[in-house]
Amino acid sequence: MPNPPTTIVDELGIALSNLADAATGAFTPTLRLGVTGLSRAGKTIFITALVHNLLTGGRMPGFAPLAEGRFIGAKLAEYPDATIPRFAYEQHLAALTGKTPFWPEGTRRISQLRLVLKFQSKHWYSGMTGPSTINLDIVDYPGEWLLDLPLLGLSFAEWSAEALERARRLDSGKEAGPFIQLLEEIDPLKAANDVDAERLAVAFTDYLRRSREHGALSTLPPGRFLLPGDLEGSPALTFAPLPPQQRQATRGNSLYAMLEGRYESYKDQVVRPFFRDHFARLDRQIVLVDTLRALNAGPTAVADLETALTAVLACFRQGETNPLLRPFVRKIDRILFAATKADHVHHTSHDRLESILNRLVSNASKRGRFAGAETKSIALAGIRATREGTITEAGETLPTIIGTPMAGETLDGPTYDGKTEIALFPGDLPEPPDSLFEDGRPVELNFLRFTPPQTLERNASGDVVLPHIRFDRALDYLVGDWLA
Amino acid sequence: MKHPIAHPTAAPVDDTEAYRAPRAFAPSNVVLAEPEFDATADDTLILPPPRRMGWLTRLAWTTGGILVSAGLGLAADRLINDLFAANEWLGWLGLGVLGAFLVAVLALVTREIFALRRLRVLDALKRDAASATAENDAHRAKKVVDDLTNIYSARPDLARARQQVADNIPHLFDGHETIALAERSLMAPLDARAKSLTAASARRVALVTAVSPRAMVDIAFVIYESIRLAGAIAALYGARPGLFGFFRLTGAVLAHLAVTGGLVLTDGVVEQLVGQGIAAKVSARLGEGVVNGLMTVRVGIAAMRVVRPLPFETQKQPMVRDFIPELTKLAADPK
Repeated sequence: MPNPPTTIVDELGIALSNLADAATGAFTPTLRLGVTGLSRAGKTIFITALVHNLLTGGRMPGFAPLAEGRFIGAKLAEYPDATIPRFAYEQHLAALTGKTPFWPEGTRRISQLRLVLKFQSKHWYSGMTGPSTINLDIVDYPGEWLLDLPLLGLSFAEWSAEALERARRLDSGKEAGPFIQLLEEIDPLKAANDVDAERLAVAFTDYLRRSREHGALSTLPPGRFLLPGDLEGSPALTFAPLPPQQRQATRGNSLYAMLEGRYESYKDQVVRPFFRDHFARLDRQIVLVDTLRALNAGPTAVADLETALTAVLACFRQGETNPLLRPFVRKIDRILFAATKADHVHHTSHDRLESILNRLVSNASKRGRFAGAETKSIALAGIRATREGTITEAGETLPTIIGTPMAGETLDGPTYDGKTEIALFPGDLPEPPDSLFEDGRPVELNFLRFTPPQTLERNASGDVVLPHIRFDRALDYLVGDWLA
Repeated sequence: MKHPIAHPTAAPVDDTEAYRAPRAFAPSNVVLAEPEFDATADDTLILPPPRRMGWLTRLAWTTGGILVSAGLGLAADRLINDLFAANEWLGWLGLGVLGAFLVAVLALVTREIFALRRLRVLDALKRDAASATAENDAHRAKKVVDDLTNIYSARPDLARARQQVADNIPHLFDGHETIALAERSLMAPLDARAKSLTAASARRVALVTAVSPRAMVDIAFVIYESIRLAGAIAALYGARPGLFGFFRLTGAVLAHLAVTGGLVLTDGVVEQLVGQGIAAKVSARLGEGVVNGLMTVRVGIAAMRVVRPLPFETQKQPMVRDFIPELTKLAADPK
């Protein structure tokens, strides 16, 4: 049984914050949307699309409040927590809609945004109260940090055992080699000194970074090693897993004891506040999964993604809330699993993409449903980068997607310069998704990365209309019933 | 002292054949006791098309039709001959009138056929839409929506809705979403108008019943108003029924009322009792008026369900209780 991720003091703080929210939210309730996804899953794009579509009343026929004409409008509002940067919506939108559009860079720090939505309720009493408002709170953060959440339940010894087992696996030998070698040179029981700790931490960080770049692996905690933010070089980030030791043999001033202490303070001072402030009080959750990238990298990456998702999602508070406890307890009662970048395959393959996603998150969704939360899965694209077409080759009609591959992408020889538009048939997705998890399967798929759409339509008031795939339905599932 | 003796009580059973050794067979020889799961959509979920005429009935109608038309032709021939015999110019005149009559009848018949076909098209659309939603078939859903926009292409009141559908269709990939879009854009405004037509009709019926001197008058008025309402709703949804189309429509509405009468009754029984109770306390005729109004409301709802070319998915089914405020408004403040 892993330890609970929070302390009693945290729990009290969470309950009090919930109570304060319930009191202030009596007239304007606040919906906290948890946008969850590992790094490069498309969180920033999803949030940008969400904000833009709500602000401009974009093309969303599947979003019931808008389609029924009850949605009046949205505006950006001041976020109550003044110490956290605001989500750079304008910059991201400018990047996506500029003369040479490009995807915003990976998120390097946490940021928040509050949207105020105004709508007319369908209830019979809405005639008396007039339009209602709700606040929609969204947090964007580097996906790497999410991998830290499972650490809250692990002690140093447990985490070391897991991390070393992963490092010693055959296929990570190349990346982990220098670190394992260094580990054998250094005796964990010798007197603590900062030089050894730093050498270990640097070697460990290198290993993590390399295995993420080469192997497209996901389970690589601690996440701050990959993306330290402003903690770079601090003692809380200077540790590494060590082989297990006899408890009585470890002296208080040994290297082992020092690293263990640093691991604990990393958990206490970095991970726990992150979890408590941003993930312990969510109402709705969307889990973005970049299935295609893992499929491109092969079965190991797919299995690894599954492990990472299951471990991360186990940390969230999901399920039904007792109505009497509602002022004190907030739980996620709806989870949407989304396979992002659905625009990189033809729509006839979306069903298969969804079934692969279902297989990937089956453990996590079973857990959520058991707790009493509703779950649904969907293949979506927050911003659609491609169009669709067909091509006839040797009497066979192939469904293709048309778009501009990013500079440096290659397929069967030619390398694209990021300006030429091509029609791509990415290969059929496998029908029974289980075959993707088997070792020894040759990688027959090739999903190129595309640039954002080059030309965009504008609506009557001059706002850019962002094309998307099923984004409206996702939004309807996540917030639609709060606007009923 | 006796020696122990053992007597056998039954013959020994040879049980070597009681056990059957495991054997393996090829699956092709097996008679399946348990059918495999069939992933295709279940047809029973979608209403079957209405039963067509039996061959006997058809034979009777056909032969009867032949006889009657032969009789009519003969009569016309005789008439023209007689007219020619009486006077030549009278004969020519008769021939001209007959020609004009035939042309007019032909035009009427064509119109009727078109109207009947249109009703049938709406029926088929509803079935297609239901199956496209159930199977999430994007291709078929797009066809349904295309047909629907074609039907409404000459309607100026739906221009904006048509444009909305046309703008959004290329961005949808799911059958049920496509149908939902069409329902929200095209059906919702028509639903609202059908409801207001029904409410107005019900108010009129209630008022006439409340003030009419004789029972016969209100029965006649209820029938007249119901027929008018069904026709207006059918025209609103694009059916434009002619005479025979109208017979079919009436039959369908009556059948629908007969089938769902019980359901609708349970839906509105509380409100009926309440409405009748309060209204009847004020005056007995007013109570009757409310009941007759509710009857008209039910006709309107049945007509909506029969002619509406898309099934109710995103929009709420109209219920008797939605119309209660309209009727009680009348009961409280008859204008």
